[in-house]
Amino acid sequence: MGVLITPSMIGQVVISGLLAGSLYAMVALGLGLIFGVMRVLNVAHGPLLMMGAYTTFWLFHWIGLNPYLSLLVSMPLLFLVGVALQRFLVRRVVDAPELSSLLLTFGVSIALVNLAQLAFTSDLRSVEYLTGSFVVAPFALSKPRLATCGFAIAITLGAFVFLRSTRLGKAIRAVSQSREVAQVCGIDVQRIHLITFGLGSALAAAGGSLVAVMVAIQPEMGQVYTFKSFLVIVLGGAGNYPGALLGGLLLGLVEQLASLFLTSQVNEAVAYVLLVIVLLIRPTGLLKGRV
Amino acid sequence: MKRWFPVGLVVLAVGLALYPLQATGYGVRVMLQLFMWIALAQSWNLISGLTGYVSFGHVVFFGTGAYAASILIVTLGWAWPLACLGGGVVAAALAFLIGWPCLRLKGPYFAIATLGLNEVMRVVVSYYEGLTGGGNGLSLPTLHASVEIYYAMGLVAAVVTAVTYVIVTSRFGLRLMTIREDEVAAEAMGIDTLRYKLYAFLLSAAAPGIVGGLSARDQGYIEPLSVFPLIMTITMIVMALFGGKGTIWGPVLGAAVLFAFQEVVWARFIYLHQLLFGAIIVGVVLLMPRGILGVLQQKYNLPRTI
Repeated sequence: MGVLITPSMIGQVVISGLLAGSLYAMVALGLGLIFGVMRVLNVAHGPLLMMGAYTTFWLFHWIGLNPYLSLLVSMPLLFLVGVALQRFLVRRVVDAPELSSLLLTFGVSIALVNLAQLAFTSDLRSVEYLTGSFVVAPFALSKPRLATCGFAIAITLGAFVFLRSTRLGKAIRAVSQSREVAQVCGIDVQRIHLITFGLGSALAAAGGSLVAVMVAIQPEMGQVYTFKSFLVIVLGGAGNYPGALLGGLLLGLVEQLASLFLTSQVNEAVAYVLLVIVLLIRPTGLLKGRV
Repeated sequence: MKRWFPVGLVVLAVGLALYPLQATGYGVRVMLQLFMWIALAQSWNLISGLTGYVSFGHVVFFGTGAYAASILIVTLGWAWPLACLGGGVVAAALAFLIGWPCLRLKGPYFAIATLGLNEVMRVVVSYYEGLTGGGNGLSLPTLHASVEIYYAMGLVAAVVTAVTYVIVTSRFGLRLMTIREDEVAAEAMGIDTLRYKLYAFLLSAAAPGIVGGLSARDQGYIEPLSVFPLIMTITMIVMALFGGKGTIWGPVLGAAVLFAFQEVVWARFIYLHQLLFGAIIVGVVLLMPRGILGVLQQKYNLPRTI
């Protein structure tokens, strides 16, 4: 190492961690919804995020649409993709052992990545919309990251309000708590499953759109978000939706601290060790999973 | 069936043993890879097919074996057969490190915990540059030993299959399958489930470690991206699933069929490779989750030891 670590560096790291963590939280909430409601492990979550990112890129590239406005396109679009996936494929493995849903969504995942490679090539592409940073001495706040964090928090909170207060949101939570009882109460479980997969995909798409403004995108960008989202929902407690927020922020912090004290190369290894420790001490996650 | 099966096996074994005498170098390399996939699919079957604990990170044992064997060859100058066995030992040791905490996890959480393992190992291997050469990879001294490696690979595939047979027909295998069917009941019957799961996990990691070493020796060059791909885990799982997981010959059959398919068909569609493989995975999961032998087993009431 040999680099002196000052308090302001730690402050900077905490800020960066929280900024990154809010995005993880939103993306993972989508995965957590799908897992909580259907017990389906959706490995295609990252590639769905990638599709959201490309939607934003092309809209910006073709018609110069503001990337943040393109959220209004990418989220509904991927909602429909999610509904279609659920309707034609995932529906059939909802009650199968986890191996089936993992493999099925993995098959979907490599097919999506391959399609993206064919359609868009593997070139790195970027949306140069917002650059530079605010300097609030001694910290530097990157503008796109700050905007990402703002949108991510807003969308995450929106999703919480939706789940908590609307009829549909309550129905989704009811199905995730007990499918049978929900059915008895007159909730159309198949329909809720469709909507849940759509919502999960829309949250992934929002993540993709926001990522596209921050870093260059390419067809294989999604996989790392799949892995991180799994980490987050396990950390936060699977099936516990506010837990995703806590888990996301925690993962962002841990990654940034790891890159300060060790090197950014080992981020994932550190996060993995954290996951195993949490699983061993509290298998239900930090906030108790309401499964 | 009982009479001709062993005879058929012996004929097949003799045929495969004589094969390199008249085959081209290419043919030997292809068969060597087939043996590798049989060993990998069969190893995955040992833990996941028998105990029901889905390992989604099995490629880490392959990659770790490849690195361990290569390091033993390059820095310590070991002979390659010994180094590859060393790779198997290191892979089993890693399996202990991973399995001891993770095999306590129930249901989907074990699969989640193993899901990111390949990324983690890739990162770790890239980080310790001094030993592993980091992202530049590791070159092994040149050696023309394809035929020897062919025999070694074939031996590993045969041994893993034999071990599976022995396990399935033993009390140990019964305990593993009890865990798969109902873990709580298994514990109630006095089975130390963690211990047996751990034994199965160690066994299932050893062969991929050895095979990883052999493959590294055959290729002559390894780098983190080439030996820790998630797709390799998926391929072995799909092979085992296609043939029939939890059976003895299923993974062999699945590996042979899918590998042949890959050699004949996919090679013509380089750009659509992943798309086709994705479609195959979806097809296998939706249409025949019990696999070829699983279906036959159920339909014709075949014995467990198929």
